[in-house]
Amino acid sequence: MRKVAIIGFGMTPFRARWPDKTYFELAYEAASEALQDAGITIKDIDSAVYGIYNDLFERQFMPDIFVNDYIGNIDKPGTRVTTGGATGGFTVRTGYAEVASGLADLTLVLGVEKCNDCYDKQTGTTTPEVLKAIAFSADMTWEFPLGMLAASSYVTLVNAHFYKYGTPTEEQMAKVSIKNHGNALNNPKAQAPMRLTIEDVLNSRIICYPFKLLDCCLYSEASAALVLASEEKVKELRIENPIWIAGVGAACTDAFIGNRKSIGALPSNIAAAKQAYRMAGIEYANVKNALDVAELHDAFTGQEVISYEELGFVEYGKGGEWIDEGGPEMGGELPVNPSGGLIGCGHAVGATGIMSTGEAYLQLTERAGKRQVPITKGRAISHSIGGPGAAYSAVIVMER
Amino acid sequence: MAEYHEIEDQIVMNYKYSMGGQSRFFIELKENKRIMGAKCPTCGTVYCPPRIACARCYQPTDWVPLQDTGVIQVSTLVWYSTSAFIQYVPYAVGYITLEGASTAMNQSIFSENLVPSQIRPGQKVRAVFKKAREGKITDFFFVPIDEYPIWIEKPEFEGGTSDE
Repeated sequence: MRKVAIIGFGMTPFRARWPDKTYFELAYEAASEALQDAGITIKDIDSAVYGIYNDLFERQFMPDIFVNDYIGNIDKPGTRVTTGGATGGFTVRTGYAEVASGLADLTLVLGVEKCNDCYDKQTGTTTPEVLKAIAFSADMTWEFPLGMLAASSYVTLVNAHFYKYGTPTEEQMAKVSIKNHGNALNNPKAQAPMRLTIEDVLNSRIICYPFKLLDCCLYSEASAALVLASEEKVKELRIENPIWIAGVGAACTDAFIGNRKSIGALPSNIAAAKQAYRMAGIEYANVKNALDVAELHDAFTGQEVISYEELGFVEYGKGGEWIDEGGPEMGGELPVNPSGGLIGCGHAVGATGIMSTGEAYLQLTERAGKRQVPITKGRAISHSIGGPGAAYSAVIVMER
Repeated sequence: MAEYHEIEDQIVMNYKYSMGGQSRFFIELKENKRIMGAKCPTCGTVYCPPRIACARCYQPTDWVPLQDTGVIQVSTLVWYSTSAFIQYVPYAVGYITLEGASTAMNQSIFSENLVPSQIRPGQKVRAVFKKAREGKITDFFFVPIDEYPIWIEKPEFEGGTSDE
């Protein structure tokens, strides 16, 4: 395989709603910024990969072809990836494969999502209808009719983990919320910057026991895009600060949570992480010391804590202790989600994993502004999970 | 913000959906209040939800009746939901392993006392069936085992075949 670098990144701010922009207009904005960041134009792009999760959000089947049209990627391939909340990570993986294989020298990886055009007349709000559009991703025969939703699916994993290990506690989960909302204060493109206390989180209204409102990410509308380049192109374009994709891992575990050997675990996280680390030459047991920063998929606070364990930062059952010790805080052993993550920056599903990867790219090129972490090891990861019971997982290792 | 124009819209689709090889589960549920699993003759795994072939052994499975009692593996109480379910909150859902099954099935848990101490891992539950069954997963639900006599006395519900 050929070496692949990230040479440009762009994203729109993450917002609850962009009423004055369609999904393809948001995509245009992110594409435009990423191409400019890389110092190229759409004409230079050989292929595009689009991460768009949910047709019902966009009120359009095959929305990718309209994005491809709108950004002017005409008479070149554009391929869509859709893997639930993990869409972003899997889209980066597919983009990587296009360049690594030699199919393309310059690939645009673009994620976009616009969910809050969904509208629930009975409550006069968008969220219940957004959640319904997502719930169609549960099995339609065995799960959807029982009122399954994203929060109840994730809380199942967290509750099973808590039942087995006694963590994460509600207080430990609250600390993740405080950290990620707080980190977002330093991210001008974040949707939910907030200064919070443990009491604020514990007293926020119950969503799915024991998740409270402030344990949950918000649904966002946004687009994010990366430009990937082959080594030849990096030289030809005289890119001064390429960030190499050193490792890519992905795995899918049982879609039916009840079929899993252990309900509280995501072996897909471990498999994806191990694949990516092996490719990057990092030891799973030593990964915490090999990285400067990690952008993890914190759709819900408790899941971030479990990911500390499954991505190898700490042993199984020790994730709660690690946040108590301040390990994932800014200035801690390994800062997790300086961007604010999904909880602080937002969750624009197809765009999210591309935002996380782009955020790690900004950190490694030392362009992350107020949220910049010290870069001493020169490595970062992004992590995406999603789908029924969070069955999809992807991990990307970047290196400068 | 620039000006914008909104319209109301909806996407509606109709289906006459076949349950395919899983049909036997729904027919037994509707006709006989019986919960069926599927056993792999090679590895012995009893799947519920059933599948007509084993994913590990690539062998066709055999239908086996399961008990209507089981244990909650994990559960939650839902207080905010999708537009299709928001009128029903709070409600409980969990993963239940039925006696005789190897896997856990997602199902509703009803209780007169819907609190985390009652709806929790390890709680024994029993299936209660709707009298008006359509051959759908919502034809039955689980209740904590000590509440079973109360629930089957309600006019719209009844107990399973293992009572008869």
